[in-house]
Amino acid sequence: MSSKVSRRQFLNYTLMGVGGFMVSAAAMPMIRFAIDPVLASADGGDFVPTDQKADDVTETPVRVDFTIKDRKDAWYKSDVSNTAWVYKDGDKIIALSPVCKHLGCTVNWAGDDTHPNEYFCPCHGGRYEKNGKNVPGTPPTGPLDQYEVEVVDGLVHLGKTMPNTLV
Amino acid sequence: MNWNASDMNLFLQQKEYIDTLVVPLIKVETVEERMKASASSTDFLMNLVDYIELQFKGRIMVAPPFAYTPSMDVHQFGEVISTDLTKSPFKHIFFITTDSAWTSIDIQEKVLWLPSIPIENMDDRLKQSILEDQLKQLLPRFTEEWIK
Repeated sequence: MSSKVSRRQFLNYTLMGVGGFMVSAAAMPMIRFAIDPVLASADGGDFVPTDQKADDVTETPVRVDFTIKDRKDAWYKSDVSNTAWVYKDGDKIIALSPVCKHLGCTVNWAGDDTHPNEYFCPCHGGRYEKNGKNVPGTPPTGPLDQYEVEVVDGLVHLGKTMPNTLV
Repeated sequence: MNWNASDMNLFLQQKEYIDTLVVPLIKVETVEERMKASASSTDFLMNLVDYIELQFKGRIMVAPPFAYTPSMDVHQFGEVISTDLTKSPFKHIFFITTDSAWTSIDIQEKVLWLPSIPIENMDDRLKQSILEDQLKQLLPRFTEEWIK
């Protein structure tokens, strides 16, 4: 074998080099797109401050109103008012979403005089226990959603809703 | 429920639960001096109706507002809407308005009249509590009709 690069070899190498470069130029963005969700930095949830002091929370659920400022829905910017039912379970603060799992009405704690220790939905008489568990025999098919809870400087901050973890 | 395509789809599947229609009636004043008040009461009524929708999403459908100008005969207008709406699948139909002309009209639908409250200059918290109070007053009107 001569150490000289033959014309055929030279052309092969050049073609492979150029071809490889072109393939990688096409494939790199695809790979980057594919792994993008993995690389996305987890931004520490969007917690919204409320006026509720963590120390004032008792075992009886209280209504906490909070507002999500400047929520962007495509080009439409708005403030969204939200409500949560907040109570203490041992040392843990629990916040439940008031949205009825039946058809989306708003439930109230002790909203019905005959069931003072339950959430009550005025629309079709749906009932939930304190931890959000739906009472069988009433229309709702699942437990109330839960909010992520964080306590910052003694105030309750609420995050996204998630499926109920208590039931 | 709102009067839009996605809510309407849900309504058509859940007709036995969503049985109430709330129809806002709005008087559009055309004289310059009264336009401000007219706009303010429209603001109040639509905010209240939105709040009702939020609280009773699973039972109440809110119709698009029906508007009329001062020369329109409210009596006739009401009767025509009333006749048409009785053909709809809703079991309970409520008219809601801030125009006192509707209180003297005898139609089949329940007319919920409330005095307008100028909420436009209030901060969100006060506005919210005013709407809550108003809804609390309306609630018995709804429930007494529902248990019939």
